[in-house]
Amino acid sequence: MTDIRENWIFAEKSINKINSATFQLITKMKSISEIPVTVVLLESQADSFENEIKQYGPDKILTVKDDELDKADDVSVASALSGLIDKFGTPISFIFAATTFGRSVAPRLQAKLLTGLTADCLDLSFEDDLLVQTKPSYGDNIMCEIVIPDFKPQMATVRPNIFKAEKVFDDTTKIVEINDLNWDKDANIQITTHVLPAKTDENLATADRIVALGRGGKQDLNNANELANKINATVGVTRPLTDMDEFDQSQQIGQSGETVAPDLLINLGVSGSVQFTAGIENANTIVSVNTDKHAPIFKQSDYCFNGSSEDFLKALNKVL
Amino acid sequence: MKIVVGLKQVPETTNVKINEKTKNIDRRGVSGVINKYDRNALQTALDIRDVVGGTVIAMSMGPNDFAVSLQEALSLGADEAVLLSDRAFGGADTLATGYVLAEAIKKIGGVDLVIMGQQSVDADTGQMGPIVAEMLGISQVTYADEIQPKSDNELRIKRYDDNIEQEIIAKTPLMLTTTGNAGKPEYVNVVEIKNSFEKPLTTWTSKDMPVDSNRLGQSGSPTVVRRIMSPEPKERAGKMLSTDATKAAEELAGILHEENLLAEED
Ligand SMILES: Cc1cc2nc3c(=O)[nH]c(=O)nc-3n(C[C@H](O)[C@H](O)[C@H](O)COP(=O)(O)OP(=O)(O)OC[C@H]3O[C@@H](n4cnc5c(N)ncnc54)[C@H](O)[C@@H]3O)c2cc1C
Ligand SMILES: Nc1ncnc2c1ncn2[C@@H]1O[C@H](COP(=O)(O)O)[C@@H](O)[C@H]1O
Repeated sequence: MTDIRENWIFAEKSINKINSATFQLITKMKSISEIPVTVVLLESQADSFENEIKQYGPDKILTVKDDELDKADDVSVASALSGLIDKFGTPISFIFAATTFGRSVAPRLQAKLLTGLTADCLDLSFEDDLLVQTKPSYGDNIMCEIVIPDFKPQMATVRPNIFKAEKVFDDTTKIVEINDLNWDKDANIQITTHVLPAKTDENLATADRIVALGRGGKQDLNNANELANKINATVGVTRPLTDMDEFDQSQQIGQSGETVAPDLLINLGVSGSVQFTAGIENANTIVSVNTDKHAPIFKQSDYCFNGSSEDFLKALNKVL
Repeated sequence: MKIVVGLKQVPETTNVKINEKTKNIDRRGVSGVINKYDRNALQTALDIRDVVGGTVIAMSMGPNDFAVSLQEALSLGADEAVLLSDRAFGGADTLATGYVLAEAIKKIGGVDLVIMGQQSVDADTGQMGPIVAEMLGISQVTYADEIQPKSDNELRIKRYDDNIEQEIIAKTPLMLTTTGNAGKPEYVNVVEIKNSFEKPLTTWTSKDMPVDSNRLGQSGSPTVVRRIMSPEPKERAGKMLSTDATKAAEELAGILHEENLLAEED
């Protein structure tokens, strides 16, 4: 198969929108390499998500318009992607967001192409055409630098919300529409329900402001809610609090929860374990409140208050 | 149904550090246990078997001491166990491991369902299920939360695709990977431990399967780990606010306004 000098990014869709991780990946790949960026988009006939994607300035968008591929299962999508590689050639890299879908389709495609894949990367860089991938293991306690020197495409899934997406204002993206792609439909899988549950929590991953409660702040939930209302923030928690009735899993920040990137994060009674701080590195400004002046969270904070979360919340709610 | 469960032995704690001298992960004194999601995978298999009948085969690729975990799987209710162990398998990445697992499943023959955990807690890749499924040419449903047999060759599955709720009807042959919500693991009872020693635990090497030696171990692994590091969290300024709560709140309110952190964006 012919090799092509392009980096490919898979455009992931949620219901009726492109997952913002896709935009983040476009900005990142453009900033680390001169190699042209191509976005691969599978969408229904009626959709035109290419118009939104092109605002982030990829060099090319390969759009496959096919109603059946729109909400297809992993096997069908992997088959379509390998069909695109058969048609256009093997790119230097092929990058996916490390979402449930990305983490399910990418390894399936990897095994078709018999190449390497690094899961859940936190950073990417290039040394010429070699993609250097930084991946955590042992529950984020260890970082590994991984390369795929002899195989193409070099594949990776990348954790969402690690990089910031930036729109660009030139309009040079080339859009290529493909109408004759061959792919195998998986007849054994029938998706009978595909819905957003009625109760969708405010989304932590995209929140501009977050008030985070840890075990030392859980008794101050009312005051914390008052603060959150005042500054229009979303409430997040550390993992131990997800066992309480008041909170659920979708509110957890950290390695096994959400990676967040708010402008402002206020931590109340959070000690600062690596599993928690893995999720907050991209916050712009971090304020932490803790009764222990040696709490590790203070090292990861811009502003620190050494004292109780109750006193601090009451005082802050008064002045804001 | 003939069900194979992929089972990995992992260190009991992931709280490991890098040894400054050897630059390797220091695992001294850390014993091995069954990867927690694989307990869910195993229990899911046992629950399905108990409804539709069949056999559950626990399978693991790794050094000889992984037999301990397979023995435990037998005492938890698996009918048979297969250990895939050979020097040639060592140093394998996910692709080379998947190859051996897939070849072993082919050798068993007539397998309807393969179940793996959503990820291993040491490697954290979650790739094995989809890789093996592709190599076997069977369908897959990953991150399954609830699994119920619908008939002899169909399962009804609930899962979340990030926050999208999905219900799926899947026909066998099939690969499933399970989250921590699937098949709540049960405890071992003493009678089962005794019985487990009567059950077959077989070891296969590269000679027992028609494998291509170029696809094994390090030589069959496209990925190369160049370096391992301790994570270095970005340290921040850590400016201490006044210890008086009222003063601290006023200071912070000033900073938040000055840095425009309370403004609404589009
Ligand atoms: C594989 C794995 C994955 C994990 N993933 C995550 C994850 O994604 N997210 C996560 O959060 N955790 C995760 N954890 C758990 C993590 O290791 C920590 O146990 C957890 O983050 C600690 O939560 P905490 O800071 O709320 O509690 P603690 O560590 O108990 O800290 C409480 C803090 O509150 C302070 N405090 C007490 N009283 C007050 C008061 N009145 N006012 C102010 N401060 C007070 C204390 O000084 C202390 O610093 C994971 C663990 C493992 C093993
Ligand atoms: N060496 C192995 N032997 C058997 N099963 C494995 C092995 N490695 C991984 N698995 C299975 O694949 C799942 C995902 O592992 P991983 O891709 O390493 O995150 C695990 O939960 C196991 O079910």
